[in-house]
Amino acid sequence: MSGASLQPDSAKQAASLGFKLTLPAQLLVLFIAVFPTLMQIYISLTDWSPLSGANWWMAYGFWNNFANYFDLLQDGRFWGALRRTGLVMLVCVPAEFLLGLALATLFVDEFRGKKIFYSILLMPMMVVPAVAGYMFYMLFQSTGPINHILSTLTGSTVSIAWLSDTTYAMIAVMIADIWQWTPLMFLILLAGLAGVPEDQIKAATLLGASARQRFITIVIPRMKTIMIIALSIRLIENFKIFDTLYIMTGGGPGTATETISVYFYKVTTQDLIWGYVAALALFILVVLSVVAVYAMKRLALAIEVAA
Amino acid sequence: MAEIAFRNVSKRYGKTLALDDVSFTVKDNAFFCLFGPPLSGKTTILRILLGLETPDSGEVLIDGQSVNRLGPGERNIAMVFQNLALFPHMSAKENVIFPLVERNMAQKDIEERLNDVSKKLHITHILHKPPSQLSGGERQRVAIARALVRDPVACLMDDPISALDARLRESTRVELKRIQRELGRTLIYVTHDQEEAMSVADTMAILVDGQIKQIGTPDEIYRKPANIAVARLLGSPAINLLVPNNDHQTVSFAEGSLLLPVKTLPNDAKTIGIRPEDLKVAHWDSKQKGKPASVFQTEPLGGTTVLTLEAGDVRLKALLRGQPDFKPHMLVALSCDPARAHYFDSSGKVLQ
Amino acid sequence: MSAIHLRNLVKRFGAFTALKTMDLDIADGEFMAILGPSGCGKSTTMNMIAGLEEPSSGSIHFSDRDMAGVPMGKRNVGFVFQNYAIFTHMTVRQNLAYGPTMQRAQTAEVNKKVAEMADFLQLTELLDRKADKLSVNILQRVAIGRSAILKPAIFLLDEPLSNVDAAFRAVMRTELKQLQRQFKQTMVYVTHDQLEAMTMADRIAVMDHGVLQQVGTPLEVYNNPVNTFVATFIGSPGMNLVKGTPTETKQGLRINLGAIGKSPILPPALASNLKSRNSEVWYGFRPENITVGTKADDLSLPITFTERIGARTIVHLGEGLSMKAVFDNETPVTVGKTLNFTLKPEHVLLFDGTSGVRIGMEAAHG
Repeated sequence: MSGASLQPDSAKQAASLGFKLTLPAQLLVLFIAVFPTLMQIYISLTDWSPLSGANWWMAYGFWNNFANYFDLLQDGRFWGALRRTGLVMLVCVPAEFLLGLALATLFVDEFRGKKIFYSILLMPMMVVPAVAGYMFYMLFQSTGPINHILSTLTGSTVSIAWLSDTTYAMIAVMIADIWQWTPLMFLILLAGLAGVPEDQIKAATLLGASARQRFITIVIPRMKTIMIIALSIRLIENFKIFDTLYIMTGGGPGTATETISVYFYKVTTQDLIWGYVAALALFILVVLSVVAVYAMKRLALAIEVAA
Repeated sequence: MAEIAFRNVSKRYGKTLALDDVSFTVKDNAFFCLFGPPLSGKTTILRILLGLETPDSGEVLIDGQSVNRLGPGERNIAMVFQNLALFPHMSAKENVIFPLVERNMAQKDIEERLNDVSKKLHITHILHKPPSQLSGGERQRVAIARALVRDPVACLMDDPISALDARLRESTRVELKRIQRELGRTLIYVTHDQEEAMSVADTMAILVDGQIKQIGTPDEIYRKPANIAVARLLGSPAINLLVPNNDHQTVSFAEGSLLLPVKTLPNDAKTIGIRPEDLKVAHWDSKQKGKPASVFQTEPLGGTTVLTLEAGDVRLKALLRGQPDFKPHMLVALSCDPARAHYFDSSGKVLQ
Repeated sequence: MSAIHLRNLVKRFGAFTALKTMDLDIADGEFMAILGPSGCGKSTTMNMIAGLEEPSSGSIHFSDRDMAGVPMGKRNVGFVFQNYAIFTHMTVRQNLAYGPTMQRAQTAEVNKKVAEMADFLQLTELLDRKADKLSVNILQRVAIGRSAILKPAIFLLDEPLSNVDAAFRAVMRTELKQLQRQFKQTMVYVTHDQLEAMTMADRIAVMDHGVLQQVGTPLEVYNNPVNTFVATFIGSPGMNLVKGTPTETKQGLRINLGAIGKSPILPPALASNLKSRNSEVWYGFRPENITVGTKADDLSLPITFTERIGARTIVHLGEGLSMKAVFDNETPVTVGKTLNFTLKPEHVLLFDGTSGVRIGMEAAHG
């Protein structure tokens, strides 16, 4: 027999061969993931900035005894941004989820023009976020189409200062996010709904379950995994909300719509205190990881209980 | 074509011993059937043969040469899957020539091979159709054509007709056998349908819990099962297994309703097997020796009738020809030619 | 408990007629098998009884009650799906309790019913097991129990054994038949396997191409098939049919079967049914009724192939004729030799050469 065969003799050998073959890829992954993290930890312990005149590996000269970490605990603007980000997540993600689920439920059955509606529904998702930002920026001008439509509907002149009122600016930003990302929820949940076995729905119907009962007892449990995936994707994405929002309000008026990403952006590009930003980012990473793991468990549990 | 052999092959998955010292030889051009209950190791044998798994010990031989170190691509063994795995977006022709196109074979050679294999499988007239427009039997033949077109040393089939209608299964298995004879290929066939296995196989291997329990022609194995496990697997209805009760003149079973002369019984017989067709059933005559059994249920199948009989707490099945006049609750006398019974020792091995 | 009456039932899907004017009466407590090949309309019939599909025309009555417009959830029908459609994310207990719970029965009441049903089906020990890792016969019992707990008027079973391993089918058949006896419920069982229909059903409705061909007890459809379809579909293997023309001989009427030979003399009853002595007929006889003969005037065919299947041997006769004989495993047969055989007069049936309708039963076939 030819000696060129790659066929291993035993399971142990196979495992060892597998390790050797994937070693370069593993090293690459290690480099990509580990190197930036280590560098960030290093920078976060210093006052180094690109304007300081030293290269980044010389940053140890700016050692500041964890001052960045003490500072962030007292940084009101940071905590405000975090709070606003949380608020956006709490409003937008559930709204997108419920809207997406409702739409997906409608789309399980056949109806005329389903394909056209389907394409229209998915369009917002295709729009480049920056473009969506400009679109909503124009829509929400005080003399813009939204106020105009509201005036026509109510019969009296409506002139809400959408983007310059602290409350309305937040609402406008949320509406834009819901508009753009409900389609993604819809798409994922529709795939989940299509995977619910039709026979089980029929069986439940024949056993006398109403539409609502069928939804609660069969559909939701069967979609549990996909629901968790959809919610996780959007929670993670929404936490990073930036482009649409930044174009619409620039985080303003004042800091009224300043989310974590916007705050980071400003601190990095305007204030250029890189060591502090690195500390902020690490803090968020650690806190969020803990929260995310806990939230994921709770979410799975909640859906289990609902079933 | 080729002779294929397993020599003392064992395979373990974690704690489970999937194959335990399996040896068999498939002769060149034979129709070899692996038969056993689900999870008995049939699929593991196929996977090892294909090169998708490596045995922990033992050797796989093709024409006397060990192929243990050859990968799946180097063994030239074809496989027909249970769901046939035809590509739905391709015509039957494109499906058949797929393995050749993949190998960049010359167009002329492809045509030649296609013509040859389609003629033999009688699919020339359906080559232009997509799989969705073919009947179950036609799809079957297209899948076999795709497997054979690259001239493999052997073809493996994993339960290829179990998804067909009952009536279609009966004709397809005969068709498969015809194809195999005409093409002269070594064919290894896996099924869990005993009727199908006995119908198609030249040689069959009975696999239970990863061990080969018996190898032989279907008829040999049916007539002379080597042990209880094999006896139970073949035959429909299944063999009746009884525990004898020796009273020094006769051996009585089932609370005395069935008597056999004591001298016919091997000394250590712990279990006696009687095939349903060997159990004779007659109307009860009160002058008879022994005790009556009673009819519990009749299943008239037209050409044959299956009786379920009750004797004490034992239930027996009898397979009678035609449409005899037995009704539930009737009293009947049972008898059996002792020479046709099977005797097993305490370990389940047959006694001769 | 309820009888089922189908009257002039028709189902069209666009231009395709799945079911052509079906009339069928299923008695209270009867086990009726609807038997036919794929696409014969059997599942459509069943789905209409369940309310999963609306008839295009015609009526369905459960005893006296017209089912027109009654939604499936209100028909009080137990339905066992081909794949059982067990709620695999629930326990056996939750599956059994599903119906009563959805219909807002008191918890105590539900528990009592579940306990009774579990006891009856020997599922008590499995009640708290998740339903996704149960063996197929347990799944069958859960599926039946889940429906039976609502005390449905009728039970519909859609090919429940088709996904079951061959080795296990016999066990499942016996168990299912026993369950029906215990429940004494009207059961309609759809299948393509004549063996299942023969072993379990009180009566069989044989269908083909959307048309009901014959209704009768298993032995009626086996012994007295109304046409060539029923004759070949029932039996394992089906009936042998050979085209032939009647010929008058000194001893009486025979059928000339061409290369096979001349048939034995037809019994007077059969001969008198033959209205035209000139037109072609199908000469039919069952593979298991062939007797090996020796006489010079016997029928004869070459043996082309044999299948030895345990107790019986299926002998394939002639090239391209799909003629078969079934013998026990003692009868010696050799491939390539000629089989001389004869038939008893009572084992012969004649069918019209063109319509395939049984000669002498034309009126019955309508």
